[in-house]
Amino acid sequence: MHPLAALAVVSTGQLTSLSGIDILILVLYFAVVVFIGFYVKGTTNTSEEFFLAGREMSAWIAGLSFVSANLGSLELMGWAGSAYQYGILAMHWYWIGAIPAMLFLGIVMMPFYYISKTHSVPGYLQLRFGEGARGLAAVSFGLMTILMSGVNMYAMAVVMQTVLGWNMTFSIWVGAATVALYVMLGGLRSAIINEVLQFILIWAGAALIPILGLIEAGGWDKLKANIAVNVGNSSYTHMWSTLGHFKDNPMGINWVGIVFGLGAIISFGYWTTDFLVVQRVLSANNLRSAKLAPVIGAAFKMAVPLIVILPGLICLGLMQNGHPMFHLVPAEVAKGNPLLHSYDQVLPLMLIRYCGPGLLGLGITALVAGFMSGMAGNVSAFSTVWTYDIYGAYLNKKANDKHYVLMGRVSTVVGMLISIGTAYLVMNAASIMDYVQALFSFFIAPLFGTVILGMLWKRATKWGGFYGLLAGTLSSIGMFLYTSTGTAAHKAHALSVVALSADAQPMAENMFRALWSWLICVAVTVIVSYMTTPKTDAELNGLVYGATIIPHDGSVGLLQKPIFWAGVVAAVFVGLNILFF
Amino acid sequence: MAEGTGRGESLSIWFFVGMITLLYGLVLTPYGAWQWLTHHPPANELLLPWLIHLHPTFWWGLLLLTFGAFYTTKYRPGTN
Repeated sequence: MHPLAALAVVSTGQLTSLSGIDILILVLYFAVVVFIGFYVKGTTNTSEEFFLAGREMSAWIAGLSFVSANLGSLELMGWAGSAYQYGILAMHWYWIGAIPAMLFLGIVMMPFYYISKTHSVPGYLQLRFGEGARGLAAVSFGLMTILMSGVNMYAMAVVMQTVLGWNMTFSIWVGAATVALYVMLGGLRSAIINEVLQFILIWAGAALIPILGLIEAGGWDKLKANIAVNVGNSSYTHMWSTLGHFKDNPMGINWVGIVFGLGAIISFGYWTTDFLVVQRVLSANNLRSAKLAPVIGAAFKMAVPLIVILPGLICLGLMQNGHPMFHLVPAEVAKGNPLLHSYDQVLPLMLIRYCGPGLLGLGITALVAGFMSGMAGNVSAFSTVWTYDIYGAYLNKKANDKHYVLMGRVSTVVGMLISIGTAYLVMNAASIMDYVQALFSFFIAPLFGTVILGMLWKRATKWGGFYGLLAGTLSSIGMFLYTSTGTAAHKAHALSVVALSADAQPMAENMFRALWSWLICVAVTVIVSYMTTPKTDAELNGLVYGATIIPHDGSVGLLQKPIFWAGVVAAVFVGLNILFF
Repeated sequence: MAEGTGRGESLSIWFFVGMITLLYGLVLTPYGAWQWLTHHPPANELLLPWLIHLHPTFWWGLLLLTFGAFYTTKYRPGTN
């Protein structure tokens, strides 16, 4: 009998069910996160406390929260599935697609975010480029964040239904209500404390999978050999050597797309300008902590593939009688057939394989924790941008601090309700999910172009920033429509135009679309800036490199310097890439 | 000041981290010991015989218990 079949409750389509001890572990988790919300409510009275956690977090707390807010359920299960589908290439999204950008944020950009005393990324754009750029960034960020939150919510409910047979409405409302409660009570402080806790629990629940999986495989070398046998070649276990041409690797991408599209644009766009993650670092208690937090986050981010990518590879390498043990398929193929499992189910499948009662509850708690940390990140960032950059900037400029805190609590709940609405919308029309995820990517690459020019180039002007951001965003939307509408032949042709190769796959299109939209944003910003009048150095003090005297961060000795630790992380990053070349 | 939870509070973030891992350790370790001593391996271990001899529930529970006990003690109220 197939081991998995023995564990699956095929009649209902669910993979497993929880025992009493699993439920106890899950209930303990919910009790603690809600308790934290009530516990910190007493110290969350001012807007600085509610939206920026009083700017009193240490580098370790801000750094762990920074990386945890990104470790949502889509991230955990989606990339484990991608590792099964594409092999070790998925690791690029954790290393070159994160580490250089995180280090750059800490060492180069954080001083400007921090000393400008901005409360948000749109807030920085307002200081640097004026209301136009801020309004565009705030509205697009607010809208996309809340829609993404709904998509995450739906994705998690699907997993809970598939794995445990839970009713989707139950999963959506219990998860959303818990997150809304603790964020509404304790604001960013409560979100950050829970994110640190969730990060630890994600590791506690998921780390056994790679450990036991490697024991079963007989070690890393044996696992690589098994994967090569199962897929028929060795391209699934090399990170760089197969990136010479689109045809040489399972992802259908080349090194230009990975290095410049992912590593230089998408990654920098997300990690340095997405307020969801930057907000965590803004809560740091001093400049040194603000610089060090992304470096600490980067060190932990490098380790995340152990619990995300490795389980996908282990599943890919499992054999039975000389043949692959699992045959996972795309979600649209698996839908409606309980005997088939989709790529995204890799992590739950491995969890069920290696973890019995108790450990299974811990693993499910890890998945729920990932879901809640991602959701709390979205909703706390949304309420900040809504209150400061939309409501406070355009609708009610003269309210007192107490009113803005109340608006933060109300917008947390309203934002969550909109997310729930989005989740139901996606439930009834699944194709919306793809569009929402694509929409999010429209703004990231151009926003990075605007912010980086704003920070590093004194000559960039208000109108240059606004029109550059607008042109980059519109061009990204235009390319998306060009490659996703029309006949199949047209789509294939459009993809080859955008990604510069007839062999390119959809993943390459995302990378190249980001690259082009960033270049268009930068080109328009530069051209318009030279046609308009720049601000004086005095006006740019605290906002731009070359017009700002950056204060000393207070570090004493080599071991306290953020740049030293950034160097250590960078060296490990290079070493790992060589090791898995 | 308790780290991370605000001025004037007595419980730090790290105390919460210690407390929840300690609680999980206290649940998993005895359960894993019971499985081990009474020879009641769970269903997944029956299908993977190599896993039975590793007693993952017991050892993982013990690791969480040790980690949790350390953090709960080090960051207990009144020590920071």
